[in-house]
Amino acid sequence: MAFKTLDGNEAVASVAYRLSETIAIYPITPASVMGEHADDWAALGKPNLWGQVPGVVEMQSEAGAAGAMHGALQAGSLVTTFTASQGLLLMLPNLYKIAGELTPFCMHVAARSLATHALSIFCDHSDVMSARGTGFALLASGSVQEAQDLAAIGHAVTLESRIPVMHFFDGFRTSHEIDKIVSLSDEDLQALVSHEGVEAHRNRRMTPDHPVVRGTSQNPDAFFQSREATNPFYQAFPEHLEAVMGRFADITGREYQLFDYVGHPEAERVVILMGSGAECAHETVEWLMAQGEKVGVLKVRLFRPFATDRFLQALPDTVQHLAVLDRTKEPGAQGEPLLLEISGALMETYSRGDKQVLPRVIGGRYGLSSREFTPAMVCAVFAQLNEPAPKTRFTVGVRDDVTNLSLDVDSTLDIESPKTRRALFFGLGADGTVSSNKASIKILGEGTELFAQGHFVYDSKKSGATTVSHLRFGPLPIRSSYEIRQAQFVAVHAPQFLERFDVLEHAAPGATVLLNVPWAPEEVWDRLSVEVQQVLVERKAHLFVIDAAEVAEKAGLERRINTVMQVCFFALADILPRDEAIGHIKESIRQTWCRRGPEVVRRNIEAVDSALENLHEVTVPGEVTATRRRPPTVPDDAPDFVQKVTRLLMEGQGDKLPVSAFPIDGTWPTGTSQYEKRSIALEIPIWESDLCVQCNFCAMICPHTAIVSKVFEPESAKGAPETFEAVAESFTPELEGLDYRIQVAPEDCTGCGLCVEVCPAKDRSQPKRKAINMRPLEDHRVAEAANLAFLRSVPDVPRDRIPRDFKSLPLLIPLFEYSGACAGCGETPYIRLLTQLLGDRLLIANATGCSSIYGGNLPTTPYTVNADGRGPTWNNSLFEDAAELGLGMRMGLNKLVSRARQLLEDMKEKLPAQLYRDLTGPCATLDETAMAARREAVSRLREWLADQQGPAMQELNSLADELCPKSVWVIGGDGWAYDIGYGGLDHALASGQNIRLLVLDTEVYSNTGGQQSKATPMGAVAKFAAAGKETRKKDLGLLAMSYGHVYVAQIAMQSHSNQASKALQEAENFDGPALIIAHSPCIAHGYDLVHSPAQQKRAVDSWAWPIYRFDPRRTHEGLPPLQLDSVRQKVPMKTYMQEEARFRMLELRDPQRYEQLAAAASDAAKEQRELYMQLAGIHFEPHEQPEQKDKGADHHD
Amino acid sequence: MTDLTTRWLGLDLHSPLVVGASPLTDDLDALKACVDAGAGAVVMHSLFEEQLIAEQMAAHRFIDSRINTDAEARSFFPESEVFAMGSSSYLKRLEQLQSSLDVPVIASLNGISPGGWTQHARELEDAGASAIELNLYDLATDPSDTATTLEQRQLEVVGSVVEQVSIPVSIKLSPFYSALPAFVAGVEAAGARGLVLFNRFYQPTMDLDELELSREVVLSTSAELPVRLHAMAMLFNRTTLEMAASGGVHTGDDAAKAILSGATAVQVVSALLAEGPSALARITDEMNQRLTTMGYTSLIEARGALSLDNAPNAQTWERLNYARLLQGWQSSGRTS
Repeated sequence: MAFKTLDGNEAVASVAYRLSETIAIYPITPASVMGEHADDWAALGKPNLWGQVPGVVEMQSEAGAAGAMHGALQAGSLVTTFTASQGLLLMLPNLYKIAGELTPFCMHVAARSLATHALSIFCDHSDVMSARGTGFALLASGSVQEAQDLAAIGHAVTLESRIPVMHFFDGFRTSHEIDKIVSLSDEDLQALVSHEGVEAHRNRRMTPDHPVVRGTSQNPDAFFQSREATNPFYQAFPEHLEAVMGRFADITGREYQLFDYVGHPEAERVVILMGSGAECAHETVEWLMAQGEKVGVLKVRLFRPFATDRFLQALPDTVQHLAVLDRTKEPGAQGEPLLLEISGALMETYSRGDKQVLPRVIGGRYGLSSREFTPAMVCAVFAQLNEPAPKTRFTVGVRDDVTNLSLDVDSTLDIESPKTRRALFFGLGADGTVSSNKASIKILGEGTELFAQGHFVYDSKKSGATTVSHLRFGPLPIRSSYEIRQAQFVAVHAPQFLERFDVLEHAAPGATVLLNVPWAPEEVWDRLSVEVQQVLVERKAHLFVIDAAEVAEKAGLERRINTVMQVCFFALADILPRDEAIGHIKESIRQTWCRRGPEVVRRNIEAVDSALENLHEVTVPGEVTATRRRPPTVPDDAPDFVQKVTRLLMEGQGDKLPVSAFPIDGTWPTGTSQYEKRSIALEIPIWESDLCVQCNFCAMICPHTAIVSKVFEPESAKGAPETFEAVAESFTPELEGLDYRIQVAPEDCTGCGLCVEVCPAKDRSQPKRKAINMRPLEDHRVAEAANLAFLRSVPDVPRDRIPRDFKSLPLLIPLFEYSGACAGCGETPYIRLLTQLLGDRLLIANATGCSSIYGGNLPTTPYTVNADGRGPTWNNSLFEDAAELGLGMRMGLNKLVSRARQLLEDMKEKLPAQLYRDLTGPCATLDETAMAARREAVSRLREWLADQQGPAMQELNSLADELCPKSVWVIGGDGWAYDIGYGGLDHALASGQNIRLLVLDTEVYSNTGGQQSKATPMGAVAKFAAAGKETRKKDLGLLAMSYGHVYVAQIAMQSHSNQASKALQEAENFDGPALIIAHSPCIAHGYDLVHSPAQQKRAVDSWAWPIYRFDPRRTHEGLPPLQLDSVRQKVPMKTYMQEEARFRMLELRDPQRYEQLAAAASDAAKEQRELYMQLAGIHFEPHEQPEQKDKGADHHD
Repeated sequence: MTDLTTRWLGLDLHSPLVVGASPLTDDLDALKACVDAGAGAVVMHSLFEEQLIAEQMAAHRFIDSRINTDAEARSFFPESEVFAMGSSSYLKRLEQLQSSLDVPVIASLNGISPGGWTQHARELEDAGASAIELNLYDLATDPSDTATTLEQRQLEVVGSVVEQVSIPVSIKLSPFYSALPAFVAGVEAAGARGLVLFNRFYQPTMDLDELELSREVVLSTSAELPVRLHAMAMLFNRTTLEMAASGGVHTGDDAAKAILSGATAVQVVSALLAEGPSALARITDEMNQRLTTMGYTSLIEARGALSLDNAPNAQTWERLNYARLLQGWQSSGRTS
C-alpha cells in the first residue's frame, strides 16, 4: 500500500486530473487549490490515464467555466471542474443542462457557506444543497481518504449511469486537512473506470458526421414527457453506484455503501449526517459504545438520488430515536434538506405498511461556516434523544438565547485516545510555521508507521497574520475532525501572542510548552503575565524557551524561524529519536529548497544545526509570582458593542458569544479597526520635525493610515503629552497660523518602510537621516500611542481650509484606517485618499476580493467616521456584481433625493424663502463651502420641521439628509473589473449614471493567490499562466473611452500622486459615469514593496502602465478628450520587467521565451503609445451638450 | 601582416583581442558579430556570488514566506514555477554560447568568501567553459581586516577554485595591492594560470541634486590604460602567469602597447559597448597595421618588448620618473 500525506484538495485533484481530458475552472476558496494543482501538473506535462495532458482552462467566472464544461462534454470529452459556494451557484444553469442531457460528468465541490448576511469562506453545505434540484447525484465524503476514494468512484459511476455526479467534501476541514492516506495508483483507476462507458460517452458526442440537435426549445406538449423520460436512469443509479463501490472494494479493500452504518447492531439512538462531521460522530459512537450505550451513526454517502430502500436496510430496526443533522440552514423550511429526505422516506415506508412503528425523528443544524463540531456536541445530541420531550428542531454548537433552539454542551469532555499525540502551534503568517508543520506531518506520515493529521487555521489579516496549526500523530487512525482541545505540546512562535490570546487555553495537564522569546532563559518566568503563569503552574507544564529569532537571524534567515522551531518540536515531542528526526528535517529542507538554490538550503541547515544549543528548559515554580496581568484587548473607553462583542472575536472567543449578541441582519458599526492594536512592526517611523518639509508624502503613501499628517489650531493642542511635538505649518500659505505634526500609529504600523522610502527631506550633513526614520517599536510605542490618542482628540480645521492640491490632500481626515492589508499594499492608499476627499458623503459598493477582506472582514473593519459621526457606508454583495450594486445604489438614492425635493417643493410656500434657497442652490460633492452650507441648511430645516405638523413634515425630516449630495463609488480588483464583473461594469458605464468605478489593478487575482486575469501583462508568470502570459493585458480604459461619455483615467499614485489626485477629483466632478484604473503594487508581483514607488515609476516610464485622463468635457471645448500624463517612453520595457519576480521567473526558466515575450510586450507598449498619441491629438468640432436626464442627485440642484 | 595567433591560458586564440566580461554576454547576436569581427575569445560576465545569494534569499523572503500564510491564497506563484535561483540560467547561457560561437568561451566567477560557492567552478567546467576567470573583488571596510588577512583570504579563494577544476583559471585583480609582484607570486603558487589586469570597479557616483549615491556605468577611456601597462611591464618575466590587459583598450595602438608591455591577450569592453561589435574589427586592423609597420611578424616577437626587463629606458617605468612626469604635467597645465 502506498501511503501519502496530503490534503483533501490534492487527493481529489490527483484523481480528477487523471480521469479527465478537459478541466475548466475559476478560482474560489477553498477549491482554488484543486485547479492550481491541475494547472501545475499540466504545466509539468503530467499525463492523464490515457496518456494525454489534460487541457486546463481558467475562465472569466464559474458561469463561464460551466459553459466551457458543457461544451467540452458535448464534444465528447471527459471533463471535470472544482468549485465552491458562489461559484457553484454561478454554475447552476449549466448543471441543469448537463443533467438534463444525461451527461457523464463528475465535479468536485469543497463545500462552503453561501454569502447571506455576510460572506464566509468556511464550510457548510448550503452551496451543495442549493444544487440538489439540478438532477446531479450528490456524493458526500467525510475525510481526505474518503474524498480521494469517492472522487474516483464518482468519475467511474457517472460513465456507467449517465447521471452527472457532484462529489462534495467539507471546505477547509477536509479540503485543507493533511492526512496520511492510502493513495490510488493509475492501475487502481484503470481497473475501476469502465472503458465502455468512456466509449459510449464519446459516441454520444456532437459531430457533423452523425448530426443531431440538442438544446431544443420545447412546448407544453413535449417538455414534461422528456423530463420524465430520464426517470429510469435515476432509478438505476443506486445499483450502478453499488456496483462501482463493490469493484472499488475489490481493488483497494476499502468498502463503501450508499449509507454506511457504524454502531451498535441493536442501537436505539442513531444520528444521521454527512461530511466530516460523520467522522467525529463515528469516533464518539465508538466511545459511547465502549461505555455500554446502544447508539449508532448513519453516514450518508449518496444524498441524491435518495435511495430509500438502501437507507432502510442500513438503519437498524431497533432504532427508536433518530436525530438528523444538517450542515445548512433553510430559513422558514419545515426542516433542513437531509431531515426532510429522511422524514419523507420513513413516512412513506410507514404509510406503505412496510414499517409498523416509526422512530421519533428530530432535526438539528450544526457547523455553519466551519463552526466546530465536537464529540461533546455529538453526545449532546444523543442526550437530547434520551429526553422524554426532545427539541424537535435544534441547533448544536451555538448558544441560542433568542429562540432557545440550542443544546447544552459539556465543553470539558475529551474522548480522544491518549495514544494520539496532539500539538498546537501559534505562528505568524510569514514565519513559515505552517509550512514546516506540513513538512513535519510528511516526515512522520511517510517516514514512520504513525498516522498523522494536520489542520491549519488562519486569521483574516494579510499582514501580521496569526496561524494556528493543529497536529495529531498516533498509532491509530485519526477521525477527529475538530480542533485540538487538549494538547500535550503547545508552541508559541511569537512572544506577542502571550499578550494577545489565551494561548495556553488548550494545554493539557503536564503539557510541554515551547516559547520563542527574545529573553534570556532566566528572565523568562518573570516576564510572563499572571494568566500565563497560572496555567503553567496549575497544569504542571514543562516550559522550554528559545530565542529562535536570533538563531534564524544568525543563520541569515531574517524572521523565518520555522526550521529552528521544528527542530525544537521534534526534540521535545519525543516522537522520533532526536538524530533521526533531525536527519529527516534536513532531508526535507534539501528537497524543498534545492529548487530555490544552495544558499537557501545552507542557511536553513545552519539554523537546524544551531537550534538545540539555544533551547533551554525553564523551571516552573510551584506558584504564581507575577503581578502583571495580560493587557486588556480593547481600551476601557471602547464602545459597549466593541467591549461586549468585538473584543471576544478578537480574542478568539467569538464562538462563546450567544445569538443575542449579534446584529440580526448583518449590519455592523464601522470604525472598529482602531480598537485592534496588533503591534506587528518591529520598527516604526519616527518624525524628526527639524528636517520635515511638510510634503505629506509619507501620509499619502501609507497603506495602513498608520502615519498621518495633521494641521490644527495651536491652542487646541494645549495639554498635549510631553513628547507631542508640533511645528508651525510653513509651506502652504492657506494654512498659515496653524500647527503641523506627523504622527505614527505605533501599534497599527506594519513596518513596511514606504513612508521613509518616499521622504525627500534629508539631513545635509548626514543624508541617511531623513525627516522620518525607522526606529525600534519598543522604544517609542508607549509615548507615540499617547501622542496618537491626543492628536485624534484635537479638532480638525474646517475642510474648506485645506487646499485641494496633491500635497495638501493628506491633511484631510482619513476615514479608512488600520486595515489588515498586506504590508506595503498598493491598493489601500487609493481608498484612503478617496475617503479623505469624500468620506462623509460616500457610499461604497465593493466587489469581493482583497478590498472586501481588508475592508470588511471581522472582527474589526477599517472604514470609520469623522467627529460628526459621518463616514463611508459600505457593502459587499458578490464578486461579480459590484458595478450593478453601485448602479442600484445610485438609482435608489436618486429616488430618495427626488422625493425629498418633491416634499420640499410642496412646502415651498410655507418655508422661509432663504432656507428654501439654501436647500436648492448648486451643491457639488467636492465643493466644501457649499457642502458645509447645505449641511447647515439641513439642520435649520430640521429645526423648522420640528414645529410643523403632518406626515409630509415627518417624511421630509427622515429624508432631509438626502438634500446633501452623496457620491457612489464602486471598488474592486482586476478580477472583478476585467473578468467576472466586466459585463456589469460595462453596463454601469453605459448607463450614463453618476457612478464612479475604482479598479484596484494588481494584474492578478490577489486574494485567491495570484491566478492570471485579463489584466495580467504579457510575459508575467501567474497561476494558469505558468509559462508566462502570451497575450496582452486587456485595455480596459480604451474600451471605456469608446463610449465617449465616460470619464476614464489610468493612475499610479505611489509615483504620480499629483495626477492621481487630479483624476479622482475630476471623476467625482464629472456628470456621468467615471472609471479609474489604479496601478496597485502587490506581493504577487514578487519584490520588496518598499521599492514600489520606484518600480511603479518604471512601469509608467516604460509605458507598461501609461497614465492618462480621458475627459469627455474637453470635447465640448474643442480639445482632445484624452490627455497623456506620461508622454515619453523613458525607459525600456525590460528595465521595468527585470525588477519583478513574476517576469524574472520566466527569464530564469526559459530565457528565450522571456526575450520573445519581453520584445512583444515592448512592441505592444509602442503600439499602444502610438494609438494614444493619435487619440490625444484628435480635435472634434465643439458641439452642443445633449440634454441631460437624471443621472444622480449631486449635480442637479 | 603580423601573425596574431596567441596562446592564452593554454587556449590557441587566432587573435589576442578578447571580448571581456560585460553585459554583451546576454546578447548572442552581438557576440556572434564580435567573433565575426575577429575576437579571439569571449569572457562571460561574472557569476556574482553576492547576487546569487541575494536573489535566492530575496525569493526566499518575498515568495516563500508568502506560502501557507493565508486561508484563501496557498501561495502567490505557480508551484511548478519554483525555480532555482542558483547558477542554472548562467550555465544554460554558457552552454548556448559554447555551442554557437566557434571561439573559446571563458566563464567568470566573482566572489570573496572561500565558502561553498566555489563549487560553481566545477559547474562551469561541466557546462563546457574553456577556462575560468576568477574576479577577486574585495572591499575592506573593517579596520581590523589587515592587508595580510585580506590577501590571505583571497589566495584561499584562488586555491579552492583551482582545486575544483582541471581547466585553467585566470585571476582578475584590482590595481590596489601594496606589493603586487608578491601577491601575484602567491596567486601563482595557488595554482592559477593567468592574470587579468585590472578590474574596473563600477564605482558609485554621487547624485548631488538628490544628495545620494547613484549607480552609473562609466565607460573606460584610453587614459586608464597606463596603469595596466605599468603593471604588466613590471610583472613580465617575473611571473609565469599569462597576462591579459583589461580596461582602457580603445584603439589599435592601445592594444599594441598592451602586447609590448607583456600581455598575451587584450580584453575589450567599453569600446564594444560604445561603438558596437565593429569596434573589434577596427582595433584589430589598427593593431595589425601598427605591429606590421613596426616590423613584427608575430605577437610573440612583440610581447614584452617594452617591459621592465626589455625596455631600453626601463627606469622610466620606475618611481623616479613618475614624479618628474607628474611635475611636467602640472607645469604644462599652468602655462596652457
